[in-house]
Amino acid sequence: MENIEIVKGFKTPISGRPDLSVIQMPEPKTIAVSALDIPYLRPKVIVKVNDSVKTGTPLFCDKRNKCISYVSPGTGRVKQIVFGARRRLQEIVITLDKHGDKIDDFIQFEILPPGDIENVPISKIINLLQQGGLWQCLREFPSKDTADENNTPSMIIVSLNGNDPFSPHPAVVLENDIPFFECGLKILNRFSNRIIVTSRQGSLKRLGGFKDHITHTVPDFYPSWDPAVVHYKLKKSVEDNGSWCIAAEHLILLAKLLLKGRYPTKRVITVTRENDQKPHIIARQGSPVKDLAGELNPNYIILTGRFNGRLVNPGSHLGFFENTLNIIRDNKEDELFGFIQPGLSKASVSRTFLSCLTKTPKDLDANSHGEERACINCGYCTNICPVDLAPNFIMKALLSDDIEDALNYGLLDCSRCGLCSYTCPSKIELTKILSDGMDTHYKDKE
Amino acid sequence: MNPLKKIIESSEKHFTGSGKLKGLEPIFDAIKTVIFHPSPKNKQIPFVRDNLDLKRFMTFVLISLLPVLIFGIYNTGLQSGIAHGESYTIIQAFLKGSGYVLPIIIVTYVVGLFWEILFASLRKHKISEGFLVTGLLFPLTLPATIPLWQVALGISFGVVIGKEVFGGTGRNILNPALTGRAFLFFSYPASMTGDVWVAANNAVDGISAATALSVMAPEGESITTALFNSGFNLSNLFFGFIPGSIGETSALFCILGAAFLIITKIANFRIIIGGIVGLIVTSIIFKLIPNGGNSWMDAGPLYHLCAGGFLFGISFMATDPVSAPGTNPGRWIFGLLIGFLTVTIRVANPAFVEGTMLAILFMNVFAPLLDHIIIKNRASKRIPNV
Repeated sequence: MENIEIVKGFKTPISGRPDLSVIQMPEPKTIAVSALDIPYLRPKVIVKVNDSVKTGTPLFCDKRNKCISYVSPGTGRVKQIVFGARRRLQEIVITLDKHGDKIDDFIQFEILPPGDIENVPISKIINLLQQGGLWQCLREFPSKDTADENNTPSMIIVSLNGNDPFSPHPAVVLENDIPFFECGLKILNRFSNRIIVTSRQGSLKRLGGFKDHITHTVPDFYPSWDPAVVHYKLKKSVEDNGSWCIAAEHLILLAKLLLKGRYPTKRVITVTRENDQKPHIIARQGSPVKDLAGELNPNYIILTGRFNGRLVNPGSHLGFFENTLNIIRDNKEDELFGFIQPGLSKASVSRTFLSCLTKTPKDLDANSHGEERACINCGYCTNICPVDLAPNFIMKALLSDDIEDALNYGLLDCSRCGLCSYTCPSKIELTKILSDGMDTHYKDKE
Repeated sequence: MNPLKKIIESSEKHFTGSGKLKGLEPIFDAIKTVIFHPSPKNKQIPFVRDNLDLKRFMTFVLISLLPVLIFGIYNTGLQSGIAHGESYTIIQAFLKGSGYVLPIIIVTYVVGLFWEILFASLRKHKISEGFLVTGLLFPLTLPATIPLWQVALGISFGVVIGKEVFGGTGRNILNPALTGRAFLFFSYPASMTGDVWVAANNAVDGISAATALSVMAPEGESITTALFNSGFNLSNLFFGFIPGSIGETSALFCILGAAFLIITKIANFRIIIGGIVGLIVTSIIFKLIPNGGNSWMDAGPLYHLCAGGFLFGISFMATDPVSAPGTNPGRWIFGLLIGFLTVTIRVANPAFVEGTMLAILFMNVFAPLLDHIIIKNRASKRIPNV
């Protein structure tokens, strides 16, 4: 086990860490497959409203590669296909059949005996994963798009921790599923010789014998465990740029699909809220946000990762890649003389609030705490960027349409962790500008 | 509802849209946001943001300047008393000092704000908090006896030519407060050099007191002896009971302010430490060169550090993030060279006894170049990802 040295990141303690106990959520009335959490997707909807679908029925595919399908995580009837602005697919909602004690109806895919994983042609594995709706678990750097099956990655990074500081604990995710994880590693070995398994140092204690599988540990502050950060720290040459990554829980799904021939539907989800300790929840993929987060008053917003997640509508459903819901307070009142308050409980990476003297966990809220101003070159963004970018200089290059300079400065190494925007005292939307710059470049290349 | 909020909301219509006082919208907005700190819901990822904003950022610079300002007022009164041949009590000194300093500060803020509001309404943006700092830094670099019309002229030059013509805060190459001071320094040298600290307004024969930096020892006498004979020893240079510009005399209070800025991470310590190291090393090198016994060449690091405006400049002027480099190695080089140039100008250039202002302005011009070299160098070390 090797430790990756990372010095920059978000080190303020925050409140709301979920409890390690696990509860099972009852079957929801509706589930959905969301298209909002899948970057670069160009969906082609295959089903119609009122079609009946089984677990594993493809609902939509990606126009860029029609073999890659997104399948239903439950059996029932298509209730609604929700489109957003410019007819962009948002989600396909399915009403689950009430089946009492009956076993969920599902599409039977081909079963691979465990011994075959090392022997069957690789094209067969790819084919089974694409049909089974799980190929998209493998993501390709630098833009974290769906992996291209024609590429041979020089390494594949398996991350035990999710996108949020309070994503499900790997000990809960791996419980009872370690044989599948081991099998998943064998699958990955078919694609690349170098498999990296990373874990936060803080997660190690509860992992017991599983520790032998971990090749690298990372410090316990956000976003050290982000595969893009690990990738940046480990890559040695240009060949490493096209590496792949996958989350440990998705690796288990891959193995389950191949070994059992059935689309796995259960996910481990955490819900976090300030000053609250909620248990880990086992629920069906695509469960309604309302069922998971409970009723909310309008002073709260829900995110799927406080730094890099999207804002979810409480009436919608959780996406395929999402396993955390952060309930964050939105303070509607402007504070009287707020700029000069001592701030005993205000979170800040600077030392301008008294809170820097205490170690108590802080709450992060959904407010900007100031208005946008011009960049004053203070360097807060550079001081926190985990992949050693200078977001302020890249931002200026992008705003003056100088994409070449931005790329030279390392734009494509950006992990979209969100910390530059978080820390900026001028409240400039650095993450948005950098992220859009990366996307524009990526789409131009396609 | 809060009564203050009521007043603000009821008067808002006059300043916005088609209100009669539309031109004053920036000042209304500034007052409104100072009283009620705006904190709207975030619209982009990440949906959480740090609590530090530019209002607090700039307020902290102001706080760090307060001890310097208060001491500056006191010392102005004290020096005025000495010039008048009287000895004031602390309160008298404060009152007398306020009489000199406060009008300068008020003129600076009023004239400076006029330009800020003008440009803010022309450009349709909000008043930048940075001006609050410029407006306090500028008076502190002036001698207390400066005519007020020169103050108005200086701050106008600083704000308009030093900042707004480049596009406003964040885009200026030079520190606006220092630009204003440099303008006055070259246009009205008689009012700006410490040699004419004439506190006796009505006196026909004004009593002049030289600043330490303009002291020159006669042949055969060492500079420290000459300084001592003119009333400057290390202790009063350090504590600041000497004539000079309002804010620059006390090394002690400048160090306190610098420490506050470094601890709160508002100013970058690399610039301040780099500058002090650069000054110490250069002054030692000059001291080692023979035959400099009667000039500042031989003064050594402690005198160079405490005399003149170096500590004020390196703590508050050089650390202005906009005109300083944005990369850490750049900040080290920037600081070191300011220290080096300050001593070099003091020693080698008989025309300008004080080198700090010129050193900082000169390095401001080079800051983008330093950044450019360092960023190119860093980019070449990255594994290309295109």
